[in-house]
Amino acid sequence: MLTGDIEPSIKDAVSQLPPQAAKDLLSAGVCVRCIFRLFGIRGQVYSFPTLAPSLIYSQLEEVIDVDESIPRCSVEANGSLGGSDTDLGFCTICLGILQFSYHDAKDKVMKNQSPSDMASTIAQSVKQEGHSISDFSLEISIPPIILENEHAVRLHLKSKYGNEGWMQESNSSQIISVKESLKFSLTGLVENVLDAKSSLSEFRIRMTYTLSKSPKTIQNIMEKNKRFKKLKHGNEKLHSDGTDAGDADMANDRAEEIVKRTLKNLGDQQPSVFPPDKVTEPCSLVVACSRASIFFGGRYLKYSRNVSQSRWIIDDERMGEASVEEIIGSNILPLCRGDAYKFHAAGREDIDVRMLGSGRPFLVEVQNARDVPSRTSMREIEVKVNNVGSGLVKVKNLDLVGSQGWNLMREGEAEKQKQYAALVWISRPLEDVDVETVVSLKEMQILQKTPIRVLHRRSPLERGRTIHWMNIERIAGSSQYFLLHLCTQAGTYIKEFVHGDLGRTHPSIGSILGCRAEILQLDVTDVKMDCFMAD
Amino acid sequence: MEADHPQASVEAKSIGKRLEFVELAVVNQEGDKEATEEDELQRLLKPNVDELPVEPPSSVEFNFVRYFAPDFMKEGHDQYVYRHANGLCVIGLAPSHVAFKDDGGVTEVDFNVGKSDRSSMKVTGKRKRNAQHFESNSALCKVNTKDASYIVRCCVKGSLLEVNDRLIKQPGLLNSSADRDGYVAIVMPKPADWLKIKSSLISLDDYTKSRKT
Repeated sequence: MLTGDIEPSIKDAVSQLPPQAAKDLLSAGVCVRCIFRLFGIRGQVYSFPTLAPSLIYSQLEEVIDVDESIPRCSVEANGSLGGSDTDLGFCTICLGILQFSYHDAKDKVMKNQSPSDMASTIAQSVKQEGHSISDFSLEISIPPIILENEHAVRLHLKSKYGNEGWMQESNSSQIISVKESLKFSLTGLVENVLDAKSSLSEFRIRMTYTLSKSPKTIQNIMEKNKRFKKLKHGNEKLHSDGTDAGDADMANDRAEEIVKRTLKNLGDQQPSVFPPDKVTEPCSLVVACSRASIFFGGRYLKYSRNVSQSRWIIDDERMGEASVEEIIGSNILPLCRGDAYKFHAAGREDIDVRMLGSGRPFLVEVQNARDVPSRTSMREIEVKVNNVGSGLVKVKNLDLVGSQGWNLMREGEAEKQKQYAALVWISRPLEDVDVETVVSLKEMQILQKTPIRVLHRRSPLERGRTIHWMNIERIAGSSQYFLLHLCTQAGTYIKEFVHGDLGRTHPSIGSILGCRAEILQLDVTDVKMDCFMAD
Repeated sequence: MEADHPQASVEAKSIGKRLEFVELAVVNQEGDKEATEEDELQRLLKPNVDELPVEPPSSVEFNFVRYFAPDFMKEGHDQYVYRHANGLCVIGLAPSHVAFKDDGGVTEVDFNVGKSDRSSMKVTGKRKRNAQHFESNSALCKVNTKDASYIVRCCVKGSLLEVNDRLIKQPGLLNSSADRDGYVAIVMPKPADWLKIKSSLISLDDYTKSRKT
């Protein structure tokens, strides 16, 4: 082997290794990148494609040759690497992850890929999904058994080289994790192929490695520790549905947490199995990418008394001709090419109540958007939604708001004031004195029992509410009909405030005027909140 | 202030109409937009008087189907069961109830009947914890007149959600508006029981006919 072929940085990295121990590990089937990370080597060296064990082995030999003080006996005892690199199994610690070996989605074994091959594979899955991105964050999930393998190897090193200087200086915190090492290998390359920056991005690329077969050692540990019953359960789950990347992620993360704790508790008592068994199967890899939800904020108007706020279907039968949720959501979703949308609003009105005036604040959350529309395109989106809404529903002040839109909308939702216009009929002609009476009532406290119309599904309670002010607008040509304008505390049931709900809301318009009062129509004319108003 | 006084704004608008020409030239765009939005709101709120019924259906007529239990367990003990679309039933005394024929009508309502005081039960939560399960012949309360006493019964098998405890202090509500503020109780029957219950009751039409003759 010609040393001239070796990159100086690899040579440099190798020179930092304790040669005897490194050779020992190579013989035990530990991959080069795992050896680097066990001895705390960082950086670019992980992304070199040519890190063949034989190459490193001969490098180490050279170091030993130069340094006469290192005895040679143990290497002979452990035998040599035997055969070519490809004959070796997968790394006995990382199970091939840092050798870029894995079962792909079609269950084909990909062996000894180069880091740039991996980067292309990742880029491809981003492109397949059709994402347009400027930055990303790489997330990695690995089977917890890798931690256990690492622990066993570490115990071996400790017992064998515990007296040597480098061992005494080192501690487990200098070990670089498999995840970190994988990022050292791939991040720069992925940045290049995607032409995007790695950062704490809303766009996540998730590499999930799962075991193809159930590990035996971890179960040994767990059987020894009956009190980790939960853990065992979690682990079984992990292996049984390793096909679902999302579930596997969660299972990996949870199990990893538990394994770390278990290993910590076990300390150094665990008898180490060394050299570890040959690994013949690499992990399965699923690469998935997704964008964190994006949020559109705005206010909606509802001009129809036959459109509900949310999709409302009872026994396969749609209530109302459409819903605000669907009209807005289904038009925004394709513009962002997202997976799904969720509609949130600051309160709601009944299906037969129109939402006029200021409109009601809402948020549309788009999950896994492939495109994020620019803020300058909001007016166009508004026009589009408003055209499709065919006059039933309109949006205004639409904007991209970020997830803090939530807080904006929830802020003061309970205290907010709402203004209504109700078409009221009373059982006798309206007198001027009635108007004076009603208008004079400011900040009036009322008590409302849960209305009969919702009592079947809500808790029976009596709630105090405030009617801030009222106004009467007479209707030309009618003495018993009038428009009642009123501003109330959020949560007031207006229909019941007018007719009294069998005296269960008191006082009511009927009780104040001393006659029967009926409400024919109701409209919300203002939702007094600061959020999503025009600039 | 304009928003607080719709009447004022209506007047302002009609004056505004006359000045429209002059104004268009001077108002800035924002002001113009606001004005049109306010106009639009006024237009939408204005009802068409010609389409309004002389007397609209009452909320009770509109929201409930009215059934009756004439001579329930005893002659003249006529009760009503008003069923809301959500399944809840409001129970009360029908106008033909014998108690109203006594001089001075109902003078006292006593919910302390049977094993417990019906007005002391506090039903809580969406699941209606503590709701007592009643049979159709369970007593809800006793209504007293000057010289007689009558038991008001549940008529409907189900959970008792509330009784109208205003009747304790204001028994006169029964004489003045037995079908509204003078209701006696609200009962929630099981949906599965409803058809059977319904067959034990008569419709408003049948009731009206039977009490006319």
